[in-house]
Amino acid sequence: MTTLASCPSCGAALNFRPGTMVTVCPYCKALAARRDRNPELLGKVADLVDTGSPLGLGASGTHAGRAFTLAGRVQLKHALGGVWDEWYLALDDGRWGWLAEAQGRFYLTFTQQPHGTLPPVDALQPGGPADLGPDGLWTVGEVSQATFHSAEGEIPWAVDPGATYRFADLSGRNGAFATLDYSEEPPLFFLGRETPLAELGIRGGLRKPAKVGVQGLGCPHCGGTLALHAPDQTQRVGCPSCGSLLSAADGKLAFLKSLKQPRQDVVIPLGAEGTLQGERVTCIGQLRRSCSIDDTDYPWNEYLLLDSQHGFRWLVQSDGHWSLATAVAPGEVPAVRDGQKNLSALGASWRRFQDVTAVVEGVWGEFYWAVEQGERVEVAEFVAPPRSLSCERQAHKGGGEVNWSLSTYLEPETVWSAFKLEGAPPAPQGIASFQPNPHKATLAKGALWLVGALGLLLALVLAESMTHRNVELFHQRLDLFELARIDPTSAAAPDRRIPAKRPAPGVQPATEPQEPVYFSGPIEIKNGFQNLALTLEAPVNNAWISLEGALVSETTGVAELFLVESSFYHGVDGGESWAEGAQGETVYLSAVPAGTYVLRLAPTWDGRVPPVRAIDVRLRQGVLRWLYPGLALLAILIVPLLLVLRMTAFETWRWQESMYSSKTGGG
Amino acid sequence: MRILYLLFLGGGFSLLVANGFLGREFFGNRRRADLPPSVRQTPGAYRTFLHNNGFHGGK
Repeated sequence: MTTLASCPSCGAALNFRPGTMVTVCPYCKALAARRDRNPELLGKVADLVDTGSPLGLGASGTHAGRAFTLAGRVQLKHALGGVWDEWYLALDDGRWGWLAEAQGRFYLTFTQQPHGTLPPVDALQPGGPADLGPDGLWTVGEVSQATFHSAEGEIPWAVDPGATYRFADLSGRNGAFATLDYSEEPPLFFLGRETPLAELGIRGGLRKPAKVGVQGLGCPHCGGTLALHAPDQTQRVGCPSCGSLLSAADGKLAFLKSLKQPRQDVVIPLGAEGTLQGERVTCIGQLRRSCSIDDTDYPWNEYLLLDSQHGFRWLVQSDGHWSLATAVAPGEVPAVRDGQKNLSALGASWRRFQDVTAVVEGVWGEFYWAVEQGERVEVAEFVAPPRSLSCERQAHKGGGEVNWSLSTYLEPETVWSAFKLEGAPPAPQGIASFQPNPHKATLAKGALWLVGALGLLLALVLAESMTHRNVELFHQRLDLFELARIDPTSAAAPDRRIPAKRPAPGVQPATEPQEPVYFSGPIEIKNGFQNLALTLEAPVNNAWISLEGALVSETTGVAELFLVESSFYHGVDGGESWAEGAQGETVYLSAVPAGTYVLRLAPTWDGRVPPVRAIDVRLRQGVLRWLYPGLALLAILIVPLLLVLRMTAFETWRWQESMYSSKTGGG
Repeated sequence: MRILYLLFLGGGFSLLVANGFLGREFFGNRRRADLPPSVRQTPGAYRTFLHNNGFHGGK
């Protein structure tokens, strides 16, 4: 039930619904506090700042099935100078909701009774954890202070005009949001989540039409024309004509100071429109920032883009490399410790690349925060190419804040094409921290080929193993003494002493070799499409036997000529035993046409007497040689291996620039 | 790079198929030759023929 009362200043009728603590007179802007009998005059409020809010007093909507009315609004001034709105929702069940609006985002919260003790504000660090016990583990997004600026309508808390209080904004996963309000003791706990305006179904209400399009204003210092594309949200403007830094409020510009701007080497002009990743964007600001590492300055350019939903994105240009950055709620990223090398967030694993202090050097165009030349933020960059996750911590009066941004690498040609820039983009220098590894992409594209080729190889080897039966065509044990017509009893025993040295290469036999030749009987070869393998086995000991042979077709006279040897030497040299060669060898012959063949074998050895009594000769057909599948496997893997090498070299080069590489041992 | 890969794949699989399904051998100490009837009928000439075709046994 609404209570009617009179304004203590002008006597106009005032409403006090259940829960309303303070009402602002719509006629005289008197701030009237609810009392037992008549309202108490607390003072008068300043004019509201035009924040360009799409909401208006008296608008209605629904939340979780309950209807609500926007009953009041308070404007609070941030420690950095900006103003934001807090709207108060009077729900039809008597509850109140807080709808905070900042940079086009809305956060709906409700007061909660904490289940544990809330931490003191000084114990909270931006970017650090806030353990609220049963109320969850949060990430501190900001610790700051707010000053009451103005208000309208009914307000569910005891406003103290001009009062300043400290607060901490907490962020959780999936848009969860909480505020700890330290204006009271114990502090107040507001719990809710980021809520799209469309979800609230807001309709009606008294509001100014949103400013759309470009607002042209003159620079109060040089008179140059400045086009503001987001006048409702702009707080600072850097005049590109005279280099003045201007404040923007209520659609007016005020001169703050002249800046000593660095040389402007930007490629995307202010006001340029383009389409990036399917979204229409306009370049409204240019920022030059730099960091210093080992006394070397590394500058880069950032372009503030305004999209069609009045959201902001950043296009970053560094050494010819480009990336597109968007904001990420701090609660979506786990708290990061100093020097923490690895991070798991947003469904990816990130590796810390570097920590730098970024300094604003040049400011051109309009910005949604009170940017200052020389503004410093501590940046920690984590990379998972082609993306990077950056944490920017900024200390300011009353505390500080942390902002996370997610950047995606863009090919320079994409930017040129998006903004229809003239000429060709300059070639990127070096490797960017989160530049995608081109060899990795090539390897990924070739993975299908690799898998297909390996499958084909497996199928061919299986087929070959089924068809190759290792059929023995000939097997003979040759008595060399008999073949050479040597009487074993008269032959001198072979010298079986272990030689003191390895035999010198090229030593010729002391005597002329014998000329024994063996002729096999007819060998029937039925399969003309399978290879042949001739194996010689001779148990030589510090000796050799060579077998010159031919597989001759009885019908055509075509012969497969071959040489196979058994050579085995061993001994002791300088106290070390050694051995070389083998007591057998196999030579592989190409398939021959089906038919009848004769095998002719001519063994030779060193000296008059053969080193062994007999040798074993075997001819087989359809022998699976692993040499060829091995060569095919090498052919399949050589290019991927080459790509892996190049990919590794690329990563090595990338991480050479990192202060967290294994070589530098950072962190 | 794709062309290079295709060349490698073509070469590797050609060797495999030629060996496994056509019986061709590409490595080893062997050679195909026409053996004249005179050589076929004379063992000594046969040895000389082999020697002249590059088959020199021994150390």
